[in-house]
Amino acid sequence: MKLSIPRFWRRRFDYYSIRITECLECGRKSYPRRPICPYCKSRNVRTTNSVGLGEVVSYTISYYRIEGSEENLPKIIALIRLDEGPIVIGEVVDVSQSEVRQGLRVEAVLRRLKSEDPSGLIYYGLKFRPLITNSAVG
Amino acid sequence: MSMACRKVYIASASMIRVSRYFTKSYKELAFDVVDEISRNLSNDGLNNIDYVIVSNVFSDSMLDQLDISTILTQELGLTPKPALRIETGESSGLAAIAHAYALIKSGLASSVLVIGVEKSSEYPTTAINKHLTKLLDYEVESIYDFALVNEAAFLMKEYMERYRYSREDLSSWSVKMHSNAVRNPYAQLKFTVTKEQVVNSQVLSDPLRLLDSFPIGDGAAAILLTSNDGLISNSDYVEIEAVFQATALPLNLRDNILELPATKLLFSRLVKECKVDINDAVLEIHDSYSILGYLIIEELGLVRRGKAPEVINDLNNVNLSGGLKARGHPIGATGVYQVAEIFKILTEGLGDVRRNVTWGLAHSMSALDLNSAVVVVRRCR
Repeated sequence: MKLSIPRFWRRRFDYYSIRITECLECGRKSYPRRPICPYCKSRNVRTTNSVGLGEVVSYTISYYRIEGSEENLPKIIALIRLDEGPIVIGEVVDVSQSEVRQGLRVEAVLRRLKSEDPSGLIYYGLKFRPLITNSAVG
Repeated sequence: MSMACRKVYIASASMIRVSRYFTKSYKELAFDVVDEISRNLSNDGLNNIDYVIVSNVFSDSMLDQLDISTILTQELGLTPKPALRIETGESSGLAAIAHAYALIKSGLASSVLVIGVEKSSEYPTTAINKHLTKLLDYEVESIYDFALVNEAAFLMKEYMERYRYSREDLSSWSVKMHSNAVRNPYAQLKFTVTKEQVVNSQVLSDPLRLLDSFPIGDGAAAILLTSNDGLISNSDYVEIEAVFQATALPLNLRDNILELPATKLLFSRLVKECKVDINDAVLEIHDSYSILGYLIIEELGLVRRGKAPEVINDLNNVNLSGGLKARGHPIGATGVYQVAEIFKILTEGLGDVRRNVTWGLAHSMSALDLNSAVVVVRRCR
């Protein structure tokens, strides 16, 4: 099925940033944003933005072929603990299979997700790459 | 008669072998199983049923068909019986039985025909894989093409690390399931495999390999549930004792990913409310990926956490069908298969497999325990 433009546009800030649910009752943070805390069910929540930094908790190298996205295999899919606390699932890019490891520091980066056809819209979203530290840059 | 006393019996069950039926449509698969049930009944056949419930997941995405239950009642000569489709992802089959059970238990129906049917193989595997990702939250996960198999791989990796198992150690489940399937006439993969074949099969999502996963196949199964014991031809009555269902948060919100929260809840109710003796039972559990087989029997309390891979050879009453791993997993039909298999194991036999036990447990889940169900059956003598 083709992507729906309004459906994607409506959630653009969820795809271009990481929005998390912060519960003002139990204090836990979770992903994605929801109107109710998934843990304590309180409605006393607010949505905050993650700064996009975290570390790899676990990862898998996926060869699983899904229609429309077979060209970039294998890819690295990881459980990433954000610095704010919640865990998200994300694709890790710009890293080789031998370099990815548990504990790897990563940062969110805007990347092309998919396009329906060569002349169609390109949809963007967040992936993760190894954090380029100041010392590494310097 | 008070509602609490209303009994719900399995009057009849039928299945076709899970396979890739390139020459048959879903209508023909459903016809075959319903026709067998009809022929098992005396004169009036299916005229006296009150309801048709169809369990199916992919009719709209793969068959371009909505309201599949109505189309099937037309095809099967069952109009004007009321009909509906139930869909809770991979646990749809047990959800359909849960709904049939509720209709009968409440007195709204006396007999309900449950049909599980799935035609997965109409498209190439990549298309089926795409549809399977939709069992996760589309807006949050599937849009990125994250798949169930990736999440199962996280569990497998964590299990290996936490309990110090090698990749080969975790091959025992698949070996056992294939060995069971050889005796099941309805199983898709009726051949044995070795640990070496499992660890050398194609990688799907490291460390999870092809032979850790269910195969893709078509299937149809049907069950007639009734409160009318006049419809029962077996000498042993098989009664549905209870049905439990529960939902759970996604994997990324779980504190311990090796616990299955919905299944845990179901199993605790099983012990408290039904007094089921697990050692006097046959079980069909949802081993879509072999790691789930280990985690489910640990959650059931059959074995201590972290010990499941060591006891697989001694499991004599679990997934005698071969499980999802080897019987196959025709998504929406799978739960109906599980209950049909248990019914046969407790009565006339599944092929030559019979068990003289009191209880039967069918356990099913969608994705990694997102929407799960247990159907408890009891043989009454």
